Amino acid sequence: MLQGALAGLAAGGLYAVLAVCLTLMSRLVRVVNFAQSATGMFGCYVAVFLSVDWGLPMWLATIAGILLGGLLSALLGWIVSTWLAEADTGTRSAVTVAVLLLLISLSFILFGNKPQPFHPILDGPAVTVGGVVISQVTVVTVALAVLVAVASRIVLSRTPAGVQLRALSERPTTAELLGIPAKRLSIAVWAVTGVVSTLVISIVAPSQSNDATSLAMLVVPASAAALLGGFRRLDLAVAGGLGLGLIQGAAAQVDGLSVVRYFLPFAVIVALLLWSQRKEVWDAAR
Amino acid sequence: MRLAERGIRTGVPFVVALVAIAVGYGLSVGLDGYFVYLGMSAVVAGISLLGLGVVTGSAGMISLCQLTFGAVGAWTVSALNEAQAPGGFLVWLLLGGLAAGVVGILVGLPALRLRGINLAVVTLGLAAAADLALVQLQFPGVSGGISVERPDAFSDDRSYFQLAIVVLVLCCLAVYFLRRGRWGSAWQAVAFSERGTAAAGTSVRTSKLTAFAVSATLGGISGGLLTGQVGLAFPASFTAIQSLALYVLAIMSGAHLIDMAVFGAVLWVGVPELLKRWGIPQDWGFVVFGVLGVQALASGGNLGTTVRQVWYRRSKKEPAKLDLAAGAVEIESKAPGPPVLTVRGLSVNFGHVAALSSVDIAVPEHGVLGVIGPNGAGKSTLVDAISGFLPNADGSVELGGKPLTGSPSNRARAGLRRTFQQDRVPPGLTVGAYLKFLARRRLTADEIGDALGFFGCPAARTPLSQVDVGARRLVEVVGHLLARPRVLLLDEPAAGLPHEEHVAFGERLRQVPARFGVSVLLIEHDLDLVRSVCDTITVLDFGRVLASGPQAEVLADPAVLKAYMGETELL
Repeated sequence: MLQGALAGLAAGGLYAVLAVCLTLMSRLVRVVNFAQSATGMFGCYVAVFLSVDWGLPMWLATIAGILLGGLLSALLGWIVSTWLAEADTGTRSAVTVAVLLLLISLSFILFGNKPQPFHPILDGPAVTVGGVVISQVTVVTVALAVLVAVASRIVLSRTPAGVQLRALSERPTTAELLGIPAKRLSIAVWAVTGVVSTLVISIVAPSQSNDATSLAMLVVPASAAALLGGFRRLDLAVAGGLGLGLIQGAAAQVDGLSVVRYFLPFAVIVALLLWSQRKEVWDAAR
Repeated sequence: MRLAERGIRTGVPFVVALVAIAVGYGLSVGLDGYFVYLGMSAVVAGISLLGLGVVTGSAGMISLCQLTFGAVGAWTVSALNEAQAPGGFLVWLLLGGLAAGVVGILVGLPALRLRGINLAVVTLGLAAAADLALVQLQFPGVSGGISVERPDAFSDDRSYFQLAIVVLVLCCLAVYFLRRGRWGSAWQAVAFSERGTAAAGTSVRTSKLTAFAVSATLGGISGGLLTGQVGLAFPASFTAIQSLALYVLAIMSGAHLIDMAVFGAVLWVGVPELLKRWGIPQDWGFVVFGVLGVQALASGGNLGTTVRQVWYRRSKKEPAKLDLAAGAVEIESKAPGPPVLTVRGLSVNFGHVAALSSVDIAVPEHGVLGVIGPNGAGKSTLVDAISGFLPNADGSVELGGKPLTGSPSNRARAGLRRTFQQDRVPPGLTVGAYLKFLARRRLTADEIGDALGFFGCPAARTPLSQVDVGARRLVEVVGHLLARPRVLLLDEPAAGLPHEEHVAFGERLRQVPARFGVSVLLIEHDLDLVRSVCDTITVLDFGRVLASGPQAEVLADPAVLKAYMGETELL
């Protein structure tokens, strides 16, 4: 049970990083980005293609893939902030649903629908505590989740760019009138979350089920985690991701729970929504 | 004369339905077997899209598990078939739809309290989970190879296609009449403004839930039909990615329009078929849908509205305007009676800012109370608090001697209505449908015509999208008056009108208590209008009542002059 839970922690770190990205996107650019993990998946697949078919060294291919993930995300950000600058969150998010479909289908066309021959970047155990093994992947993803959340926090509260971003997220029009470069900043947020998602998926994908659909649908447990923080709080998003990973890992050890396990993220989402919607909130300020 | 016209208009959809069934029969006889099979698939997709059109197009939410509801329908039909349940295929089909509808309500309940985006997260979660679970569990009867029996009369492909067409046409008729009824108006209203919906006495959550449940039910029926078509249901027909694609297709084609749902279904089946014939991988179909979906969202239109715009452009009309010129018949006004709405000690704080502090207000029966004050005095906050949009407000509100509490929609039903300063009128409805939605009771055509004529509003047949904003807000006033509340709160109703029409509007407003039996609280900046309409006036300044009483006294009060006018003598 404990071994299972700790095995789930690697996935938990992955959910946590993606949940932090989703929270940042929701807070700073008013989008629930359903294509968050699909962008990462696509970048990783290109990396595998570059190393396997073109014979590039592993590290170079991985970096190229990560950059491509960032570029894809930036392109999507450019589309959304150019044509849907004034649109509501729902419409902006609907675009990312269309992109999610597009990326899954494109990866089927380019790379087939089988799992990819990933070469693990990190392999083997990091530490063994009392007969329980913790892998390198687990240590790195959990560290990365905490790191990304803390870094975002520091950037948002301590740097001029962060202050501008916060102004932009709370009062977009006023920020624009003050001369804050809204579009450039928004696209930068998109690009950064794209890079971070691709990076974390590159680390975890070799040890997970890594067909295109599974990787793209990682956005489901990630949004369950992000919901714990109401798509606003980074610390709760990290906690939610790690917690969900632990529970799923523990549930995987129990035979009777096999089908129930699939519904865990969904159940978490429903429970959190019931909890968060006790109070009535209206769609407009007045 | 009017009756005959109405009869013709109600009959049109049935005539169209009969023609559609005839065309379907022609196709089932004329096409060769392979195309008949494709046709069945198109019908199945069409019913699914019709459901999505209700939830995405009419109610404006994101639903990403339409095929999971299909799977629920398919599961129900397969299980009933395996158990040899009584009733036969058609009863099972209906039960499959109902089962999916119930699942839809269960999923929608937690998601639909507020944002539509929550529904997107929940439905994607459900689709992903169901995807994995179905592969592991498989449908009932599959392991034993027990395929679903079609009804005896429709056992071969051609006749089953005819049955499918009839089911599709029935679903289309149901959606058509639902969209024209109360539910449909509520869907349109909730898509445009939740506050506007609640102010009309309609529960926001119920409206969203009905849209989602109808959509899920249609999804279930479509899944059941598919099971009859293929015999054995397989998880591959109900994957999450296909649900995504169906959603994007609904957005792209504008599936809330019935003809576009059918056209979308033709694309759903036709595009992969064409790609197959040209030897191109079928995944390109979804790539094309994705690109067109992004394009549709970015341009804010879709295929359906584009086609209709081209159609309407031939009969391009000017936006409908008000016609307040004709003098209306004066009615003997009643003397104001005892207070019908009493507000005592109303306080609202936003953080450390006191927007209102212990405000007392009384609206007399058959009277019009004017509330004036400079910008930021708290006038709109007052309306929000009385109508229940600020649950944290302190103080008591009594309507007709009974305490008025609860949600905005409860208060609206109890007889307190309000209008908004902003445009909260759903552009997707016609004037008449909107009036019926606001009134929450049966209206005769004469009643509607009289009320609209009295305020010089456009005719009931006019789509609200073709009515200018000032006139739109007057239509809102008319609708709330037709609901016959005890009290109506008007938040700057004349703001969108040209100045010369203010006086004419004031004349009408003065007759409202006598003509409609409604007492009015009027917030207005135009002092000429206030002077000509209001018997009593309350002045707010910095969230406090500065003066209150008969019009002449209040307007002559030096404190009021100072607050409202500066030191200058304008009155």
